[in-house]
Amino acid sequence: MSTITVDNVSKKFRIPHEKKTTVLQNIAGLIKRQFSYEEFWALKDVSFEVNKGEAFGIIGRNGSGKSTLLKILAKILYPDSGSVSLDGKVASFLQLGVGFQSELTAKENVYIYSSILGLGRKQVKKVYDEIIDFAELKKFENMKLKNFSSGMNVRLAFATAIHTGPDTLLLDEVLAVGDEAFQKKCRERMNQFKTEGKTIVFVSHALNAVKELCQRSMLLNEGRIVTMGDTEKVINDYLAMLQRSSPR
Amino acid sequence: MWQQRELIWNLTIVDLKNRYQNTALGFFWSLLSPLLQALVLYFVFRHLFGREENFAINLLVGIMAWQFFATGTSSSLNAIVGKSRLVTRVYIPRQILVLSNALTTLINSLLAFLVLLPIIFVLVGHLPATVLLFFLIHIIYFWFIYGAGLLLSSLYVYFRDLNQIWDVLVRVLFFCSPIFYPLTIVPAYLMPYYTLNPVTQFIAIYRDVMVTGNLPSLFSIAVVVGFAIAAYLVGSFTFSKLQRRFAEELG
Repeated sequence: MSTITVDNVSKKFRIPHEKKTTVLQNIAGLIKRQFSYEEFWALKDVSFEVNKGEAFGIIGRNGSGKSTLLKILAKILYPDSGSVSLDGKVASFLQLGVGFQSELTAKENVYIYSSILGLGRKQVKKVYDEIIDFAELKKFENMKLKNFSSGMNVRLAFATAIHTGPDTLLLDEVLAVGDEAFQKKCRERMNQFKTEGKTIVFVSHALNAVKELCQRSMLLNEGRIVTMGDTEKVINDYLAMLQRSSPR
Repeated sequence: MWQQRELIWNLTIVDLKNRYQNTALGFFWSLLSPLLQALVLYFVFRHLFGREENFAINLLVGIMAWQFFATGTSSSLNAIVGKSRLVTRVYIPRQILVLSNALTTLINSLLAFLVLLPIIFVLVGHLPATVLLFFLIHIIYFWFIYGAGLLLSSLYVYFRDLNQIWDVLVRVLFFCSPIFYPLTIVPAYLMPYYTLNPVTQFIAIYRDVMVTGNLPSLFSIAVVVGFAIAAYLVGSFTFSKLQRRFAEELG
């Protein structure tokens, strides 16, 4: 039943005292016997499940491991132990517009970006008009991307990304794009995804956005799960935790 | 990988467009450098080796074959590091980045060899029928270069002076390959080591099928296929191990 299963996942980052990035430095380090590094557990024994059609929020302070967890779900990072399984087609929106080419036109970029997100040419052709309409860029489809404003850029990227037909969406703070009107459109689209039965994992600092979208959430602190459950309750725990750590 | 063919193709096209953007004569410039190199070597060494049969055309074929190896491997170093956003911000099978880089060089070298055909026709007087085997040998060579690319691109993520080291190795290898001199000047006692150089084996077959019209022996084909398989196995094993921490290193 569950589309996302995370079982006892831990992730360790090694922070060397002296970063060696060349063969020469490594040979020098070998002679001087410098191999010391500090270990830092970004995630420790994290387990949870997300059911199909559920919107699941992850909140926590900076450096609590939220983004690391999302990158592991997106297969960008490998967990050091534990296992992760995701069913269906996954779209990860960790950053929008990856692979955009400024020397090519908006139209060409839609095709390239779609193929990076795993969509074939024929499938893009079917939804191309929808994409360009959603981005409100019909007039500029043959303009080179280098002449686009950053807002147009991000609208094009977002419109392309949501039209790739994913079953599961991994979102990292990307909903805050474009102007107020476009943001409203994005929120509506997310709610539509939810009613269509898509699974959403949402990482954000914007607690209101999490409250609006997600029924269930999880609070991370220093790589461990603090609480998990009803979003309202988790947010209250988070606010209480913030108050404890910085009494005013 | 087959499912990703459109992505591979798109990345290759983007690579080609970026390489030739804003140059009206795009491909022509990439051809000019090996041709000039061949010209220089011709004038320098024609007094020494000019009496060898087909010296000029053998030199050209050798340079083109060499060029494929040299640019293919050197550009592969940057296939991952130069596209770090496609590694750290989104998930695609990372071998794709190396493959599309190798394909870009392949298209380049196919065009370069195509230009060579009329030159062979003029200098030798006819095109041997064995020239059709060119495609077979070129695909084997491509696979060899792709394998080497997997190894180099993944190591470069961790060792950023590898480009300087590789630069030197490529220069040494150039002089250890029979490009501007005939194999006959290599001393007999060095020959066993000399033939361990994969580029030597490939160049010999290119000359067989494109210039002299000899069918390459099954043994020599088996040798180059062996080199290609070995390079691919070592490359893809190393790559699959090292790619686990690519995103951390490139962060």
